Amino acid sequence: MPDTPAESQRKPIPERFQVAKATLRFDTFMGYAIQVGGVAIIVAVFGILAFILAQVLPLFGKAEVTERRAVPGETAPSPTATSSPAIGLDEWAELPFSFSGGDAVTFTDLKGERGTFTLPVEIPGEAKISTFAYNPAGNRLEIGTSDGRVGSATISYTAEFTDGIRTIVPTIEVGKFHKVGSERTPVEAIGYGASDSKQLYAALVGGKLHVVTLKEKRGLFGKGKVTKDLELDLSDKLTSPPDRLLVAKDGRGIMAISRKAGSIDYLYLNGGEFTLRQTVHPFADREDTKSIARADFLFGDVSLVTSSTSGALRIFSLFRPEGQSDRIFGQTKAFPDLPSGTTFFVPSLRNKAFLTGTGNTVGLYYATTGAVRWSDDLPFETRSAAIDGKFKTIALADTTGTVHLLNLDDHHPEAGAKAFFGKIWYEGANKPEYTWASTGGSGDFEVKLSMMPLIFGSLKGTIYALLFAIPIALLAAIYTSQFLNWKIKRVIKPTMEIMASLPSVVLGFIGALWLAPVLETKVPSVLLLCLGLPSAAALIGWAWNQLPVEKRCKLKPGYEFLVFVPILIFLAYAFWNLGPVLERICFTVPDPLTGKPISDFRVWWPEVTGTPFEQRNSLVVGFVMGFAVIPIIFTIAEDALSNVPPALIAGSSALGASRWQVVRTVVLPIASAGIFSALMIGFGRAVGETMIMVMATGNTPVMEWNIFNGMRTLAANIAVELPEAPKGSTHFRALFLGALLLFLFTFVLNTLAELLRHRLRERYKLV
Amino acid sequence: MSDTQSESTEKEPTPPAAKFDLGGRKAPLGESQVWLTAMGLALGVLMTLGLLGLIFVKGLEVFWPHPIAQITLKQDSTATLSDSNILAGPITETRSIKTGDTTREEIQLMVGNRDVYRLSFHFLNAADVVDTTYPEDIVLAERMEYGHAIFYPKFATLADGTTIPANGPGFAETLNRLAGETADRRKVIADVKSDGMGTQNRKILKAERKIRALERRGKATPEKIAALRETIATAETALVPLGAELDALNAKQRAATLTFTLPTGEERTQPFGEFVAFTYPNRLSIFGKVGHFAHKLWEFVSTGPREANTEGGIFPAIFGTFVMTLLMSIAVTPFGVIAAIYLREYAKQGVLVQWVRISVNNLAGVPSIVFGVFGLGFFIYVVGGWVDQIFYPDAVAENRSVFGTGGLLWASLTLALMTLPVLIVATEEALAAVPRGAREAALACGASKWQTIQRIVLPSATPGILTGVILAMARGAGEVAPLMLVGVVKVAEDLPLDSVFPFIHAERKFMHLGFHIYDLGFQSPDSEAAKPMVFATTFLLIVLVIVMNLAAILLRNHLRKKYAVASF
Repeated sequence: MPDTPAESQRKPIPERFQVAKATLRFDTFMGYAIQVGGVAIIVAVFGILAFILAQVLPLFGKAEVTERRAVPGETAPSPTATSSPAIGLDEWAELPFSFSGGDAVTFTDLKGERGTFTLPVEIPGEAKISTFAYNPAGNRLEIGTSDGRVGSATISYTAEFTDGIRTIVPTIEVGKFHKVGSERTPVEAIGYGASDSKQLYAALVGGKLHVVTLKEKRGLFGKGKVTKDLELDLSDKLTSPPDRLLVAKDGRGIMAISRKAGSIDYLYLNGGEFTLRQTVHPFADREDTKSIARADFLFGDVSLVTSSTSGALRIFSLFRPEGQSDRIFGQTKAFPDLPSGTTFFVPSLRNKAFLTGTGNTVGLYYATTGAVRWSDDLPFETRSAAIDGKFKTIALADTTGTVHLLNLDDHHPEAGAKAFFGKIWYEGANKPEYTWASTGGSGDFEVKLSMMPLIFGSLKGTIYALLFAIPIALLAAIYTSQFLNWKIKRVIKPTMEIMASLPSVVLGFIGALWLAPVLETKVPSVLLLCLGLPSAAALIGWAWNQLPVEKRCKLKPGYEFLVFVPILIFLAYAFWNLGPVLERICFTVPDPLTGKPISDFRVWWPEVTGTPFEQRNSLVVGFVMGFAVIPIIFTIAEDALSNVPPALIAGSSALGASRWQVVRTVVLPIASAGIFSALMIGFGRAVGETMIMVMATGNTPVMEWNIFNGMRTLAANIAVELPEAPKGSTHFRALFLGALLLFLFTFVLNTLAELLRHRLRERYKLV
Repeated sequence: MSDTQSESTEKEPTPPAAKFDLGGRKAPLGESQVWLTAMGLALGVLMTLGLLGLIFVKGLEVFWPHPIAQITLKQDSTATLSDSNILAGPITETRSIKTGDTTREEIQLMVGNRDVYRLSFHFLNAADVVDTTYPEDIVLAERMEYGHAIFYPKFATLADGTTIPANGPGFAETLNRLAGETADRRKVIADVKSDGMGTQNRKILKAERKIRALERRGKATPEKIAALRETIATAETALVPLGAELDALNAKQRAATLTFTLPTGEERTQPFGEFVAFTYPNRLSIFGKVGHFAHKLWEFVSTGPREANTEGGIFPAIFGTFVMTLLMSIAVTPFGVIAAIYLREYAKQGVLVQWVRISVNNLAGVPSIVFGVFGLGFFIYVVGGWVDQIFYPDAVAENRSVFGTGGLLWASLTLALMTLPVLIVATEEALAAVPRGAREAALACGASKWQTIQRIVLPSATPGILTGVILAMARGAGEVAPLMLVGVVKVAEDLPLDSVFPFIHAERKFMHLGFHIYDLGFQSPDSEAAKPMVFATTFLLIVLVIVMNLAAILLRNHLRKKYAVASF
């Protein structure tokens, strides 16, 4: 203050009592800064939820399809062939082709200036193409000729770069043709499949089903020599005359489809001989019609997409019925009915999506989830369709030959609520099930992203942990808060709290590498400990009470705990060593290998229960996770118990209740809400525990309650798989969904616990 | 508080009388339940102490020198190595193996010499052992590769060709002297590699990247390119003498050799450059053992790892943990305090703020992995992506990421976010505990709101805030799961702090004690060999976390006394 005393004595200066401007300004500034900062920080913290949600939401979106351009066809499709025209796309969707059974394939350059041009399909000999089938998987035209021969032509694209500009050059390579049957009559339908060394042609000639298998002898250099291996007439094995043939890509299964009869004969090559394994009637249960409009293989050639002439759309997949060794077809999915039987079909080569439709209706379906990704009525009638290899472009050819190119925007076709939470009948599985298998070996592998095994695993681990932790934590909390001498309590409480600070990676390591091998052979001992210790404790208490009061009063109340520690150590030691005795008495089974009786719990458990016994099992997890959960439950429950108003305790003690009666009738009911909230917070902690789960569980996503095998939890799954998941992929977002579930679950649980505690506090106020 | 034992005997009986007539002989009701609760506590405490004890014993045991046993097996034993029935090594474990009804004792022997035996640990049937001796002159040698060697030395050949027989006097000193010399030389080599050659190589790399960047942008003028090429050429010429120096040093490392016989009889010769240290474990006195123990412990915390982390020290992991925790607390403290001040002092106390408070509190219970997921998705892919786009377009063009991949900065920020709720709650509690009287007195004296907060409220809340910070640090130091997603690695080439501009390399990946445990225990090819190291690391991490927690408790008590303002 710059005022001199002389001045201030003369007259009062109002400024003297005013706050300095700078102070006020600074105060205002800080006020704003903190308000803005505070709100921003809180918003940012909750932004976590928003961000994760934003990552997850695209999973539940539908496919979006927009028109890109239409390319008028130069020539209308020739109506000669029995097959519908085929169109196909190159990898860059720049040079679509169409083929309708003539002697040339028409290419349309969408990017460069080549316009429309054709490349001939040169069939050796003097014959016309009588039938063909287009297989997008190998970009192959399977061709049957008018003189009874079969063969194939492959369309391949190569990219050539000149001055940095990409030009796509198509080539057509026509393979060798093979004679089927003895007559020179036109081939009516054709199917082709090839495995590593075998090729199989199935052809319908003059109403008869002929099969030719070819063997390729691999030379050391270059292409091997192809020789005819088998030549068979399988007509007598069929139940009805077929009009369309499909061959699975392994070259062993033939599907002979009879549209009118509505049946599909499934012939299978085994040991050099074809047998009729099954006759499928896909629409036998339909009232309106039983005949088939189309049946086609989905990518992978394990599932058949069938459509009835009335528009029903169903998927039949190979599965192994219980008790049988052969895989047969069974209906796994059904889609909403279309207006009429489908006229075109094309599978995606990237996933299990397919495009099909009839008339003006076109739909994109996803086989695994049974979802309609996109469906629309277009202003033109589609005759054939194609999906590019990147699953980004759809090409539709209409009746005038115009090719319509559509942008396909569907990043997560395999996702959706059903995929994450529903039971799905996956290809190759024997029944609908919940499965998590995010990565697989082969290209036609179905990604299985069910959250259920993970949620189940999280719950299983949590429940076993709580089974172990709750009794110890609550008993300890009751004793500490109500009975323990306060001097010891001062030391005990921090000890238990230090347990809470143990890093979970340490617990996981101890559990997996130290405890798991120890417990593996000592299950009976553990069993004895679990049963023996509590009963021994109660027994000691009872025996103690039988002592005369003079002896009893030598031990002050509140010190029982100290007496108990050495007894407990001794008992634990005794029970531990008695384990093998129990094992010999109770857990002896004949050894499955030698037949001799063997007393080993590791053998006994799978023999008796039929469930596996693993070293890293839920028992170990429960025990180790107990270390993480016990201190949390203990601390909160102890607080709740200690906060019970002393007046109530004193009152009931004064009325003559024993100390246990006080606890049971007064303390526990009042603190029950607090104890319950302690349990919920403990539950939340256990559900989200990561490192222990990663290390000590074995990480197999099984859904069994068996205590002697492991599990895979949501949290562990994220920790293990997220570093490898490509950014923005379905797998990546599915893991974010797992994180979101964890977030919401623990958040809701903790909020409930908090509300409960709040209510408890209100209750105290009344007293 | 519930001392009812004496009361029950004096109680007036109420009907039905017989039930309460305890006659002074019987104990009060429910005593056995009380004993049951005592058991709960006893179990809990024993579990905690048992676990800590296990880690302490197993963790420290690693550094204690074990005597080397020479075991003679029965002639027909199946456990022979290299067709010899004499084996030697420290006995690391004896265990009983149960197969069916029979139980047999098994001895685990650390036989070392992995280059010869192809294994470091060997299991023997205890029944096969004929004789066990502890020979005086057996040597345990640490090596740069293939783990430990256990052998009888024969003679050492010096660089000038003279040989020193092992049975001569003072051979142990000779061994240590030679090991010391090679260790010094190893340091020189490392300096030449990292400082000398590293600097030049960095120059070359930088210049090459610049050339590529210029060419990409079409700004490559011949002068600029020539200047850069000049830089590369100078650096390359500077590398030549360094390379020669390195070759000379390496040759020196190989010049002196040691010839020794393995317990199984093979004779081998190895240059001293491949050895790290020699000990005669069976000759060590108790003081020698203590000295060895201290030396090993120091080596463990001060040197870097060798052989895929299974040997050597863990200094980079300690350092990484330290720097990460420090950065995290620097990031979390101001934000946590500001948010708490806002919530407690500025925000209008209503239902909304109450809900925000509960939610913030509950965020502390959200699993850490969720924060890791957020850190990966937001910090690394979104923010890191932007930073790279804006500041490192050249790196993006070459498909490298600088900040767009996991690193120290993102790990610290992720953990800061994770511990933010903890700190907000702790600070709020501390602020709420400041007595109303103190605030009102300050305001009555004419202090403004901010002045009151700054001079009165914050100082008295400091103990609480500091406790919160330390607890947050302890949690951050022990957390592994989120770090696995945001930048922790098995082996970090460089420390995040060094003498190269800009000194702190927040984009670098780093090592962490917790992840080290996970990686060693679960990802290492020889988990048996890594086990001692894991226990030692675990011990260190536990000590760190417990010390931090205890520090938080002590500091709270200390500062509470110092800033006691409650007595207004």
